[in-house]
Amino acid sequence: MEGKTIVQIKNVTKKIGKKVIIDELTFDVHSGEVFGFLGPNGAGKTTTIKMLLGLMSMTKGEMYIDGFNIEKDFEKAIAKVGGIIENPDLYKYLTGYQNLLHFWRMYPDIKRERIDEVIKIVGLEKRIHDKIKTYSLGMRQRLGVAQALLNSPKLLVLDEPTNGLDPAGIHELRNHLRTLAREENIAVIVSSHLLSEMELMCDRVGIIQGGKLVRIQDMREMLEDEADSIVALTVTPINSAKTYLESLSGKYNPKINDKEIEILENMENIPDLVEKLVGQGIKIYGVRKVQQSLEKKFLEMTGGNEIA
Amino acid sequence: MVNLVRNENMKLSHSISTWIMMGIVVLIIIIGGLLTRFTGPEAKAPKGDWKAELKIQNQAYKQDLTNPAMPKMVKDGSVKGLQTNEYRLKNDIQPVQGNSLWGFVEGMGGVISLIALFAIVMGGKIVANEFSEGTIKLLLIRPSKRWKILLSKYISVVGYTLLMLLVLFIVSFLLGGILFSFSGASTPFLINSSGKITEVNMIVHIMELYGLKSINLIMMVTLAFMISTVFRNSSMATGIGVFLLTVGNVITMFLTKYSWSKYILFANTDLNQYISGDPLVKGMTMKFSIIVLVAYFIIFNIISYIGFTKRDIAV
Repeated sequence: MEGKTIVQIKNVTKKIGKKVIIDELTFDVHSGEVFGFLGPNGAGKTTTIKMLLGLMSMTKGEMYIDGFNIEKDFEKAIAKVGGIIENPDLYKYLTGYQNLLHFWRMYPDIKRERIDEVIKIVGLEKRIHDKIKTYSLGMRQRLGVAQALLNSPKLLVLDEPTNGLDPAGIHELRNHLRTLAREENIAVIVSSHLLSEMELMCDRVGIIQGGKLVRIQDMREMLEDEADSIVALTVTPINSAKTYLESLSGKYNPKINDKEIEILENMENIPDLVEKLVGQGIKIYGVRKVQQSLEKKFLEMTGGNEIA
Repeated sequence: MVNLVRNENMKLSHSISTWIMMGIVVLIIIIGGLLTRFTGPEAKAPKGDWKAELKIQNQAYKQDLTNPAMPKMVKDGSVKGLQTNEYRLKNDIQPVQGNSLWGFVEGMGGVISLIALFAIVMGGKIVANEFSEGTIKLLLIRPSKRWKILLSKYISVVGYTLLMLLVLFIVSFLLGGILFSFSGASTPFLINSSGKITEVNMIVHIMELYGLKSINLIMMVTLAFMISTVFRNSSMATGIGVFLLTVGNVITMFLTKYSWSKYILFANTDLNQYISGDPLVKGMTMKFSIIVLVAYFIIFNIISYIGFTKRDIAV
């Protein structure tokens, strides 16, 4: 099910001096989806997000949020956007509540009760009247989410939101975003250089490198549409199994990995192969599909770890 | 817009440095009051013989007038002094003393220079700190135009500066009254405009004094605010602001031999030079200075505006 188009990015280019930071970027994001913006450090993720939020100007191209041009119609475009850019930098000498009050005052028509609602959503009721400087990073991150939700946004933009969070915090944030996208039908853009995170969080991922969009990939398609999968077999004796597999087909390319042997084969052919192995007197203790991780794909696409 | 100013006020009022500044102003008034009351020559001077003093002063004025070596300016001053003193003697109006209510309030007007310094610190911080703390990113992704946010910060700084001036006036008035009695509150101030003497309320005179000193203050705040906005660095803004506040006048003094020096900001900030004395550079008039000040004010604000609204947020 595809939602309404919330974000339209059309041929956006950003030059600083003569250096091209962003090169002809074009993509859309729809309501109800979590869109991952993935790329190595310096690829242009933060720059793109800053342009989308009106913090930076574009050299060329256009960006629309909910149909409004971010440069020409800034106030209308930004009114339905919530964002966290890098760390949620808040006013440390104010309390959590004062911080929210501060940002709430900047919206023309949001009810005051909304402040209490967002505090409840992120579960900060107990500490909301304490000064931010006494907060842990996780709590600041939650307050960051709260301020981003103040205006009941249609688009939520989070730049490197998991930076500095512990695994529990990341898990919590991930669930939050998923829920928001699905239940409130919000479009979410998340940027990260951490691939494993994106796999778990996003519906679609746009891979950016050197300011160019290398590829946009639907996550499920990416993981499932594999002709051949890596299959790990736990067998004894392992060495004769390897020799036998090699003799069967050159395509298997068996590799011994600890007590398992990994081969490349379409899942449909696995039962036949198991039968053949059993016929050779090889004992099988386990058959497991190894998910080809996004990391491998990512490295293939971007040609290694090269930083743009 | 009102909400934006409320936001800036909330941020300033919860910043401890604002209250430290306010505290220092109050403390200096108290120390100044106690010193004036209990030490110093005026504390011991007997009251009541002011008429005799004025007569001695008048003798000196008369001597100046008969002395052909005296420049015209001094003579003009002597004529005015003589007229005022005679009016005082005739109407029994004592001159304002340092150890009286209004004398103290007037003397404490010097604290405005300190308030100017604090205002520079506030103006230097208010924009630059949003950048150094990273909060600018969350501040500018709201449906408010950037120039409105900038203006609200400016209004807030000017507002707090006015508050400090008000505190200065009220505290020095109350303390002056407590230490030197409120009975002098009705003493009028004498304005001598070419021989015609008018009595005005002292408050009018004090307001004039504050107003004239505030011109320099406003210009320096605007300058610090501009540096804060353009360089996004509070130490630089505060440093340059304080430096110019302290040595700006001295540097201008050295340059007065060049006629272009009359266009320097600091040659024009003291409008009192036209009321009591010679302009710093020949050919300067009150009107000229006001035009120069307004021009600087507009230029500073345009630069702030461009620096804040047109540039990328790189932090």
